[in-house]
Order: sequence, then C-alpha cells, then structure tokens
Amino acid sequence: MRIFTGIRPRLLAFNLLLVFLPLFGFLYLDVMEHRLLRAQERSMVQQARLLAAALSTVPSTEADADDAARLIASLQGRLDARLRVVDSQGNLLADSSRMASPPATPDDTPASDEYSPGRKPTREKLLYRVGAWFYRLYARMFEPPTPAFESAEFYGAARRLDGPEIQAALDGKYGSATRVSASGQRSVTLYSAVPFRRDGEIAGAVLVSQSTFRILQDIYAERLGLFKVVLLSIAVAALLSFVVAATIARPLRRLRDEAKAILDHRGRLTGGFQGSRRADQIGDLARALQELTRRLEGRIRTLESFAADVSHELRNPLTSIRTAAEMAAEVDDPAERRRFRDIVQRDIARVERLLAGVRDIASIDARLDQEAKENVPLDRLLAEIVDSFNVREHGRVRFRLEGRVTATVRGATDRVSQIVENLLDNAAGFSPDGGEVVVRLERLDSTAVIRVADRGPGIPAQHMERVFERFFTYRPGEGASSADGHSGLGLSIAAAIAEGYGGRITAANREGGGAVFEVRLPEI
Amino acid sequence: MEGVRTIAVVDDEPHIRETVAFALRREGYAVDEHPDGLAAWNAFSSTKGLPDLVVLDILMPGMDGLELCRRLRALSQALPIVFVTSKDEELDRVLGLELGADDYLCKPFSVRELVARVRVLLRRLALLESAPARAEGDGSDEDEEKVLRRGALVLDLQRYSAQWNGAPVPLTVTEFLLLKALAGHPGHVKTRRQLMEEGYAEDAYVSERTIDSHIKRLRRKFLDLNPGFDAIQTVHGLGYRYREASDKDDEGA
Repeated sequence: MRIFTGIRPRLLAFNLLLVFLPLFGFLYLDVMEHRLLRAQERSMVQQARLLAAALSTVPSTEADADDAARLIASLQGRLDARLRVVDSQGNLLADSSRMASPPATPDDTPASDEYSPGRKPTREKLLYRVGAWFYRLYARMFEPPTPAFESAEFYGAARRLDGPEIQAALDGKYGSATRVSASGQRSVTLYSAVPFRRDGEIAGAVLVSQSTFRILQDIYAERLGLFKVVLLSIAVAALLSFVVAATIARPLRRLRDEAKAILDHRGRLTGGFQGSRRADQIGDLARALQELTRRLEGRIRTLESFAADVSHELRNPLTSIRTAAEMAAEVDDPAERRRFRDIVQRDIARVERLLAGVRDIASIDARLDQEAKENVPLDRLLAEIVDSFNVREHGRVRFRLEGRVTATVRGATDRVSQIVENLLDNAAGFSPDGGEVVVRLERLDSTAVIRVADRGPGIPAQHMERVFERFFTYRPGEGASSADGHSGLGLSIAAAIAEGYGGRITAANREGGGAVFEVRLPEI
Repeated sequence: MEGVRTIAVVDDEPHIRETVAFALRREGYAVDEHPDGLAAWNAFSSTKGLPDLVVLDILMPGMDGLELCRRLRALSQALPIVFVTSKDEELDRVLGLELGADDYLCKPFSVRELVARVRVLLRRLALLESAPARAEGDGSDEDEEKVLRRGALVLDLQRYSAQWNGAPVPLTVTEFLLLKALAGHPGHVKTRRQLMEEGYAEDAYVSERTIDSHIKRLRRKFLDLNPGFDAIQTVHGLGYRYREASDKDDEGA
C-alpha cells in the first residue's frame, strides 16, 4: 500500500503527531480545572468558617437573624460567594443575595461586572465550538460518564434549608454538595456548609455557595487559546509536509522515473541518470547514480567493442589462413606449397595466441582476485626473467638488469612476471638487431618502479595515448608486423594486471631514441 | 587489352598481401604491394602512376583505405577499386555514393573469389575502353544473347553494366550479379542463400544479411534514377524477386 509506505504520508503523520502535543495540553486543562475547583472550595470553607466564628461570638440567640444579616452585609462586595446563615433547625436567617444593596449575586450566575456587556462568552465563539465538538467526540468515546448532579434550583426560595450538606453541618460536621448551575452551562455550583456553635451547642450553619462558572470561563479561554495553537500547528505541519514533499519526495520520484526509463523493454541501457545540481543528499544520490550509469555504459560499450574487436582481429589471420590454404592446394611447385603451408601454420599459431590473450584479458580482473597472493621479491624475479630472455633471443637483443635495490610486492608471482615478460617482449619486438634493453629496478617512497627501456623507434606522439589499448599495434616499417606474433594485447594485459595490483604503467619516449615503459607497484 | 594490367594490393597484413599478390601474379597481372595507404599513395604519385585496379584494405595504420580511396577518386572516377575489409560496419560508407567502390569482399575472403572479381572488373574496364564507338550500337545480332532486357532495365552481361531507361546505373559487380539473378527469372522468388551463391560463386562465408544490404543499395541506386522504382520486391520470410512483366511494368521513358 503506497499510501502508507510513501515518504510523504509518513512525513505528514510525523508532523501531525507534533500537532497533537497541544491536544495533550487540552487534557491537562482538566487536571487544572480540578485543582482550581478544590482551591475554590477551600476558600469557600474558609469564608464559611470566618462567618461561623464571627457568629459564635454573638451572645444573644434572638438577634441571630439581624446579626447574621449585619455580618453578611459588612462582608458583601468583598466576597464572591453567596452566603447564607441557617439556625439549628435549618431556617434561613440571612442570605447575601436577598440584601437590598449591593445587588444580589445569584449563585448560578457569575458576577456580571466581570464581563463587559455585548462581549460574547468564550464558549459561544465559533472556533471554540468547533474545537469543543472534537473534544466532546473524544470525551464521549473515552471518558467515563459523570454522575448527574442535582439542580442548583434545589433550594430555590425556600425558607428552610435541609440539603444533605446542611444536615451534616447541623450534625457538627463539614457538609458539601455540588449542583448543576441553572443556566444550562457546564458550570456547577459548589455548596459548603460549616456549623457555628454558641455555648458549646450547634446554633446553626453557614452555607457558602459559589458557581464554578468563573473558573470554567478561564479554562475555556485557555482551551480556545490552545485550540488556536493546534490549528496553527496543523497549518504549519501541512506547509512543512508540502515543502518536504517538494524537496524530497519529488526528486526521489524523478530518480525513480529515470531509473525505470534507463532500460528499454529489451533490457538495453538507453540512457543514464541526468544528475542533479542539488546540494543535499538527494543531489548526491542523483550524482552517484549518474556516475554509476555512466560507468556502466562505458563498461558495456567496452564489452561490446571488445567482441567486435576480437572478431575483427580474428579475421585477418583467418583470411591469411584461407587464402594461403587455397593457394597451397593450387600450386604445384613444392617450395611454393611449403611457403603457403608455413603461412597457414604461423597464422594458426597467431589465432591461438590471440585467443589466449583474449581469454587472459577478459578474465584478468576476476582472476587477480581469486589467485593466491604472495610476497614477490622483484629483484630476484627480474634477474630470472632477464636471464631467460637473454637465452631466448640468442643475443639478437641483449637484456641488462640495473639497480641494486631490493623490493617486494604483493601478488601472484606468475602475474607479476607476466607484466615484466610482456614489457620485455614488447621491447624485444621493437629493438633492432644487436640492440640492448635496459631493465632497472628502483624504489620511490613505498613504490617499486620497474623501468624497461629499449632503443627501438620510440612511440609517435599521436599513439602515446593508445599503446595500452587492446589490439592496438603500431609497427612502423616492413620488418615487424602483427603477423609475427603480436596480438596487440601484451601491453594492455600488463596494464590490467598492474592496475589490478593497485599500480600503473606509463609509457614515454627515451632520450636518445627508443621507448621507456615504467611500472609502479605498491611495495609491502 | 594491350600490355599487362597492373594491380596494387594495399594491406597491412603481410601474409594476406603475399598470398593475394601471388594469386594475381599467377593470373598474369603485374602486382605492386603496399603496406599502408600512405606508401601506396606515394607510389601512385611518383612516376609510376596509377595502377589499373586497386585491392584495398580499409583498416590500416597511417593512411587508411577510405582516405586513399577518396584521394584516388579525386584523380580518377574510372579506376576500379575493390575493398577487402574485416569491418562489416564500414561497408555502407565504402559502397555508398560517397566513395564509390566497385566491389568489396569481407574478410576472410576466398582468394579465388577475389581473383574472379578482379577479372570481371578488368574485363568491364577493357570493354568500356575498347568499345566506346559501338557502345550505342542498337544491339546487333551477336549481342542479342549477351543482353538481358526487362522493360526499362537493360543488363549488358558482358560489360557487367546496367541501364535504366537508357541511363547507366553504376553497379558493383556483386550488385550486378544479384540483379541479374533476380531479373533473369521475373516473378521467381530467390532466397538469400541462392542469391549469395549467384553473387559470390566461391564465398560461402558471407552472412545472409549482407544480401539485404546489397539489395538495399541496389534499390537506392535505381530509386535515385526513378523515384517510383519498385521492381525488386521483398518476399518476407523467403527472399526477393523481380516483379513480373505482366504488371503495368515499365511506365516508360
């Protein structure tokens, strides 16, 4: 399912998760509400206790109603709560909301001076209602139902108050009750009843009631603020997701499309990655892929042209064999016939050498890795090879080893000697009769350097680049030719081995005529 | 056909050069061998002058066969040039109008085939040289059987030359032989193998696909003369045939 595995949805999900953090803030508000409510209750109880203490000091029982009224009146305007005083039978003695002045504050309506007229309560703002819808959805699904409260109209205009909190207070305990406020809002009214004593007897109770409306109002304001933050976060998250999609997902999709288009239906490489100028990791990836396909293309081209080269190189000796064989069959003179048979023999040998070279060069990289490597002492190896070449050439060309240094490289002895032999072969092929080939071993830093210098015709400048190319042969003059046993692979095989061992071969012209080939191999 | 014909063999492979030269000398030709284009060009530019025919390898160090061919064509349009090459890809360039080779053989070729081609080309040359006077002769009796007429197409089987509506069509020997094989039996399908045998009597090593290239070039040469040319038809899966005369045939001059 693409929708859930794609980068874009995942980023969106991640960003949205960040958005939900403020939502947890919402939930925390509930805890805060709880605490505020408890604090309110405590302050109510203290008010009740203060009033109760004041009432306790009044000696006369008859004067209760008046005293209470006077005390309440003196507190009025300084307390937010509604205060009522009842006697030991629960009869209402005084009620702050029934005082003529200042105006009454019913317990279920907030003090109106807190809200400027015409200003909409927070709860009725559209934004709040939208947020509340989500919250209610959440509450309905996850929160346990709250018990139904009695109505705040419980006492109404009764002269005798007998609610459970009053009963508790008249029994000498602390009583409390919670009743739903009248206006239908979610606020409730808290009731706290505290007894007051006179001469050790419970003479009545003080009832303090206050709506939680104001607390709730604060909470609502907080909620609305939080909800705004959530909405803003959503907008930011969406924007972020969009930006990220544009800068990550789209270039990745482009890379994918390019990758799909690279091979045609027959599996041929039709193009490459276009690369990118982006400076970020995706740009790096694009450039790496571009380089990959570029090299792959080069590799494929090399292989294809290699096949063409091989077929081309085989055709010359085959032509020679075919024409010579035809002639050998037609001529009568035995000497002529022998001449053509010689040509056939030599060209068959040439085909064999060519095939051996092709096999070598085609598998050289794989073989270098497989072959066991050992420490190869170059000085000893060079001495042996130079000796055997002197024997082979019967003095037509002389080989001389220079340099007294010792050097050891890592590799298969056969391969290392193949490098040297191919270079000496090449030098011998170009050397005039009586020429001398100088082989020199040196050490440069931690590199062993073998130089093979001949006094042949040297390498024309325009061929300098190509001498290590496969099948490249350049034999000036009539004397030597590829028909004499040069496959055009010797130098490229030597170069391939040297490179396989982390070294390289370079060619140059020698001062005073001739060519110098220089092999550098890392010493161990 | 006075004197001994001189043939230049230009190839960097000494064994091939040696054998080809030997075979041509056996036929009575004088042969000059050159190891590369530049050596040949120097020889041709010297007092010795141009040979009567050149056998030319394409891929050679120094000056290659294509460059030498270009230089030779600048000197002489009539000099017959036979290419021998190991690169099939080069053939279109060689045989295109750009270079105008007279024939070519793919390596590995048969030396007998090469000698046969050389003979044909030299004979064509001799006929062209000796008989300009009677070239426009209106087909006297003795020539009757030596000429193949198919509507607008006239093949001179002796001169190895072709005409379309009286205009000469420059065909290589191979193209001529293929056309002769097709036009000789209008309506008959010739497979590629059959065409190969007719075109290369001794050379069974030519790929069947080279027949396609030959036919393509053959058509192009006629299309250059007559944009509506469609006498050589492809029979898919089989080969080619020359259109039967019963159709509206040649719509004339």
